[in-house]
This record gives sequence, C-alpha cells and structure tokens, in this order.
Amino acid sequence: MLIKVPSATHFGLESLGVDVEINVANRGLPTFDIVGLPGQEVDESKERVRTAIANSSMEFPQKKITVNLAPADVPKEGSFYDLPIALGILASMLGFEVPAKSLFFGELSLDGSLRHTRGTLLLALFAREAGFKKLFVPKDSANEAAIVKGVEVFPVKDLEQLTLYLLKRETILPAVYKETASSLDSALAAEFDMAEILGQEKTKRAMEIAAAGGHNIIMVGSPGSGKTMLARALPGILPQLNEEESLEVTKIHSVTGLLRPGGALVRTRPFRSPHHTVSMIGLTGGGTKPSPGEITLSHRGVLFLDEFNEFPRQVLEVLRQPVEDGFVSISRSKERVRYPARFMLVASSNPCPCGYLNHTKKACSCTPREIQKYQKRVSGPILDRFDIHVEVPDVDVRELSQDAAASKFLETSLVIRARITRARETQRARFEKESFDSAQGRPIHTNAEMKNSHIKKFCVLAKETEQVLERAAVTFQLSARAYYKMIKVARTIADLEGTGAILPHHVAEALQYRWKQNISE
Amino acid sequence: MHTVITKGQKEYPALLQELGDAPKQLYYKGTWNPKLFESCLAVVGTRRMTSYGRRVTEELVGEIASQGITIVSGFMYGIDATAHKAALRVGGKTIAVMPCGIDMIHPADQADLYKEVLDSGGLVISEYEGNFKPLLWTYPKRNRIVAGLSQATLVMEAGEKSGSLITANFAKKYKRKLFAVPGPLTSSVSVGIMQLIREGASVATGAKDVLDFYRSNSEFPLRFIPPAGGSPTRLQEIQSSPSSALEEKILEQLRREPLESDQLARMLEVGIAQLGAALSTMQLSGIITEESGKYHAH
Repeated sequence: MLIKVPSATHFGLESLGVDVEINVANRGLPTFDIVGLPGQEVDESKERVRTAIANSSMEFPQKKITVNLAPADVPKEGSFYDLPIALGILASMLGFEVPAKSLFFGELSLDGSLRHTRGTLLLALFAREAGFKKLFVPKDSANEAAIVKGVEVFPVKDLEQLTLYLLKRETILPAVYKETASSLDSALAAEFDMAEILGQEKTKRAMEIAAAGGHNIIMVGSPGSGKTMLARALPGILPQLNEEESLEVTKIHSVTGLLRPGGALVRTRPFRSPHHTVSMIGLTGGGTKPSPGEITLSHRGVLFLDEFNEFPRQVLEVLRQPVEDGFVSISRSKERVRYPARFMLVASSNPCPCGYLNHTKKACSCTPREIQKYQKRVSGPILDRFDIHVEVPDVDVRELSQDAAASKFLETSLVIRARITRARETQRARFEKESFDSAQGRPIHTNAEMKNSHIKKFCVLAKETEQVLERAAVTFQLSARAYYKMIKVARTIADLEGTGAILPHHVAEALQYRWKQNISE
Repeated sequence: MHTVITKGQKEYPALLQELGDAPKQLYYKGTWNPKLFESCLAVVGTRRMTSYGRRVTEELVGEIASQGITIVSGFMYGIDATAHKAALRVGGKTIAVMPCGIDMIHPADQADLYKEVLDSGGLVISEYEGNFKPLLWTYPKRNRIVAGLSQATLVMEAGEKSGSLITANFAKKYKRKLFAVPGPLTSSVSVGIMQLIREGASVATGAKDVLDFYRSNSEFPLRFIPPAGGSPTRLQEIQSSPSSALEEKILEQLRREPLESDQLARMLEVGIAQLGAALSTMQLSGIITEESGKYHAH
C-alpha cells in the first residue's frame, strides 16, 4: 500500500516541497530503505522511526518498506523527515487517512516524542505560500510556526498522540501565537547600560550616531580603555526590529537552530562577536550544504569584531562584498544559496602591537616599523568600509569618579535609544518610496546604505555647509570617498537633531569622526 | 662614481679635522658644499617621540634652520627624522649621518625623506663604504660624527639609556656647546634630559637661546637666508581668531595644556556634539591642531 505524506526541504532560506512516499509491501524480505538522495541524518532516520514506533505501544511491521523522497534528484538533509516517514508507515498499518492539505515536519526521539526542530518557521511560511491549510509540528516548535497567520498549526507531543488524533480518538488544539517576555525588551539584551560607563563621551556619541544611521564604526584605543565594554553596551541603544526585519531575523534564527524551544519572533537586534580565530567559512557561511555564517547571523544587527587587526587578512577581505551589498551568495558544486547580511560592523583595535601608543601613563615599546606593520595588517578597502572612526583615550577611573561633570553627562541606554529610534523613523520615511525605484530594487533602511545617487538626492547641502566641507577637504586632504562619508554621517547627525537640512555644524561634528590618515607619521 | 673626502683634504670639515678620533674618510651622497659645514647644529633625541617632542622639534628646528644653520642628525625615526623634515620645510639645509654603508638607506622606509634631503642640496654622509650593514657599534661611532661636525648639540627628548646621551657625551668631550630642551617630569623620555641639565647642559627654552649662541660666536657668522619658496613655519602662519564664546573658552583651556575632547567637554560642561563641531571649525580656521587625540592651541 502506497501512502504520500507532504513535507518540504530548505535551501538556504528558500523551501521546496517534498513528497514523502512510503510503500509497505507484503511481498519480499523485511527491509527498510530510503531512496531519493538522503543525507546522513535522513538515512539514520530509519533507526529512530523503528524504535519510536516500537516504544509508542505499536508494532513495527516486519515487511518490505521503501521510502522515496520526491523529487529524487534534490539532496535531502535534516532530521525532520522522521515524522512524515513514521506517519506513512502507521497510516498503512492502521489504515487511517493522511489528512489533505497538511504538512508534517519533525524529528523523533527514540521514546516516540517529538523534538524541537530547526527551520519550522520556514516550513510554515512555505505552507502558506503553497496553499497548505494544516501544519503538524513538534510541540516545542509550534509557537514559531504560529507566527505565520493563515495556517493552522497543530502542536504534536508524540507519535501516539498524533495517531490517536488521526484515528479521531483524541483532539489537538491548534497553537495560538504567544510573545515571550525575553523577546520584548531589548534594553535587557545588553550586558551593560551606557550609564554604567563613566567618561568616553566622544566614543559614546560616535556609537549613538553609528547606531542611528547604521554606520560601520571602528574604535582604536589602548587595552583597558573600555572599547569592548562600550561595544557590549551597544545592543541596549539599538532600536527594536520592525515587523518585516523581525521576520527576516527570526527566519535565520529558526534555520540555524538559534531559536529556543517555544521561541517567538525575535525583537531584539542580533549582536554577534566571533573570536578572531574565526574561519572564512565561519564568517560568511558555507560548507557542502551552505549554512549561514556570522555575517548572516548578525543580519539587521551588529557584527562586533574585537581585536580587528588580529583577524587574518583573508578572513577580513571576504567582508568587503557583503558589507556593500547586504547579502552573500554562496556557491558550491551542488547548491547555490543567497543569505541576507545587512549588518552594522563594529570593530575595535589597539593602536600598536603592545597597545600603549599615545597612552598617557604607559610607554609604548614598539618600534615605528612594528607599528606600521601592525596597522597595515588591515587593507585599505576594508578600512574604507567604516564611516566612523574614533580614538578611544585611556581613562583614569578614580579621577573620573570624582569628576562631577562626568556623572552629569551620563545618560541611560533607554534615553539614548529613544533618540535613535526617532532618527531611524525619519530615515524610514525618507527611504520609503526609494525602496521601489532604486537601481537594484533592494529597499534601503538607513543613511549608511545610501549610494552616491541617494546622497545627491537626499543630502542637498546649503552653500554655507558646502563651503565648510570644501574647506575640510583641502585642510584634511579628504578623498572623494571620505567626502561622501562625511555627508552621510552629517545626514545622520542632522536626523538625530531632528533637522531637515544639513547645517554647517552637522558637517563640523561629522569631521570629528573622519579617518585620520598617517596616525604614526 | 666614487664620492669620498679623506682626512687632510682641504674640503674635509675643519671641526671634524681637529678631533683625535676623526674618521679617515667620509663617503657622501649629494653635492659637497663646504659652506654647509660653516655653522652646524646637531639635533638628536629619542626614536619614541611624544607629540610634545614633535611639536617642539618642529618649532625650534624650523626657526633655527631658517636662519641658515645646517641641521645635522642621524636619520633615525622620531626626533632625528622630524628634525630633518623641519629643516627641509623651511627651506633650510640638513646633513644626515648614516650608521651604515653609504649605498644603503637606513631605515629603508624613509627613502622619501632621503631623496628630499638630497634634492634640497643637503648631504648624506657615512664613514663606511658600499652596503656595509649597520651594527650595534656603528651607531655610537656615527654619533661622534654628528657631534663632531657641529658647534652645538641640541637634545630634544631622551630616555634613561638613549643613544642621544652618547651624542651628548661626545659633544662634551669635544668641548662643544650642549643644549637640552626640558620636557614634562612625568614623561619617561625626560629622564635623560634632566640628567643632562643636572650635569650642566644649557637649557634651551626656545630657538632664541640657540641662535644667540651662534650670533655671539663671531667665528660662525650667521648668514641670513630667507626661506626660498619654502612654506612658512607654524609660528608664522596667519591665524584667525576664535569666533564664539565657546571657541574662546576652548582656546583658553588649550593654551594651558593640550587636552582630549572628552576632558574639554567635562571641564567646560559642554555637550560633546556641540564641542566636536566647535573643535572641527577651529581646526579648519587653523586656530588649533589635533594630534593623537589631543588638541593643541597655537
């Protein structure tokens, strides 16, 4: 008897329908085979299904069982075919109907219960698109599937419960989507509050501008100056994800298994800080079945690279294209996938190998040659990707804690975040129409994403403002690229202030964060 | 082409000739011009120059070189290179004394400066020929030439065991004038300077102190060469004045000591955004300069 159970497979963030065909034949030796390019996990599914059925107070049939995953020429990977395969076998034995317009998805445990399975959200999105009405998924994964409206999601506890439901002896109530507490408040997401960090007013301001405009920022300073602490406080001032962004991020989290059991929509911006031993593939994504890398995991959030100069040069070079384009295309012999990667790059580095160049109290023990070599580890094109550059001075905490002005300047992350959220809204309104007629058709959300054509359109400078910039170009020897960067940063500063026009003092402040060449010269 | 002057030749610098341990021969690059050796000042100091050291070197050496005094130094990183550059900037003359063979550029990454020294009519000299590599003992040997060529030696910043102290000792041994430029007591590159002052070196508080020495010494008459086409020194730059109350307050603080923007913000209790805009504006009008995070008033 041949049973067909619909399921799906994922390619990157895309899904493709897969029919799981199960044939239980009375003739032939008792065997259990899976065909249709199954990967390792799919092949091992045989043992899980066999044991799970046996442990669910049912008997595994001693018959010739053949499972085909159609279309047969697409490689299948993942453990989620367990449920459709087991279901097919049970249906043929117990003679119940597999409900129409339904999708089955989930990994089995040996005791017959269903485990939280990654990629459930993607499946739900596919189900709605392909016109399925019902979705049977593990109980722990039901909440993320319920994000998608228009599909009934049935949370399944174990194989026995599902069998009884399909035999109409038990009911399963469709899942209702619930937000979880932790997904709501992003201020809680940060390790530190900005108000906990004394001093560093300029760096904090630079962070605020960077967060408001989505600008990439690099901090250079001695060990102990607080670069890492400041970066870790950053999530607290980032605005919440909007609905569209939130779904994009949740999809990535779902497919990589970052979403916990019972997980809901991710509302906080991701903050990723890979160690500098990260591999190229680890950063961009890849593998024989291309999986997302750190740049995709930090989509719509922050990628923090601490000790920037310690990253191998080749690893950093691969960032160039994704930083510009906002996505990464990974091509392997069998698959080509494209993952989104629109992140804010935050880097921190020491000024020299020993770290104490220009330190007020400690002497630097590096030779000029060593310093030059150290600074040249990062290529020019990579440094060009940073809009904001800030030197973080060393601070004397004891001195600062007695300075009344230092505490007077303290602001909590929530206060700063309110300003940033407002500036982001201004930007959204500005680029709303632009999303459809821009050259590549990709929507832009922030000032940092502006191309030169956008700058010409949205950053019209008054004569007076232009004069300041022209003068700066000569005095500071700004390159054409640096010139445009200054305009972008000035645009964000004006947005933070709530001013429509870019005024001279916006440009003047932006100049504080320019890349200062020949630091050692 | 062999370019060498041997001891005893009439072109051989007179000041060097009188020394007991004068080099037997001097290899050189550039055009040998005896006038270059008439009045020379050796400027030496640490390789690990601070921003204070750089400023002071630029200002003092710039002014001294513009009066026609040849600046002699060792072509090393830090104070040496800054002194050569400061002399070139005002159209002055400079001599680089190498610790290696005459055909080598050491350190190699200062090839641009090397070319500039020669193009300006300056000299590169060494007592070693060909591609002889610099060795530990050739540095102090070189220092004796630096001190020996000059009527006076000016030490800018020197740590406890700085090579510049060796040059200073040669100057003393040759009974030449020794100047030391004081620096902050907290700085590690002031230790050597303080030691020299304790031992009787003259304190140079400005270019005038050094120039007065050359003027009073009729043996070394000062030729006044106006900077020909060279850019003006910082001191001579036309300055605009602060244009707002905030800018005036900033300038007042910076005249006292160089500060970072965070420190200024706290002292003046001004928001960092407003302060940053003011600082950039002042930089653009040339009232202040910024170096490694600190702002300096002119």
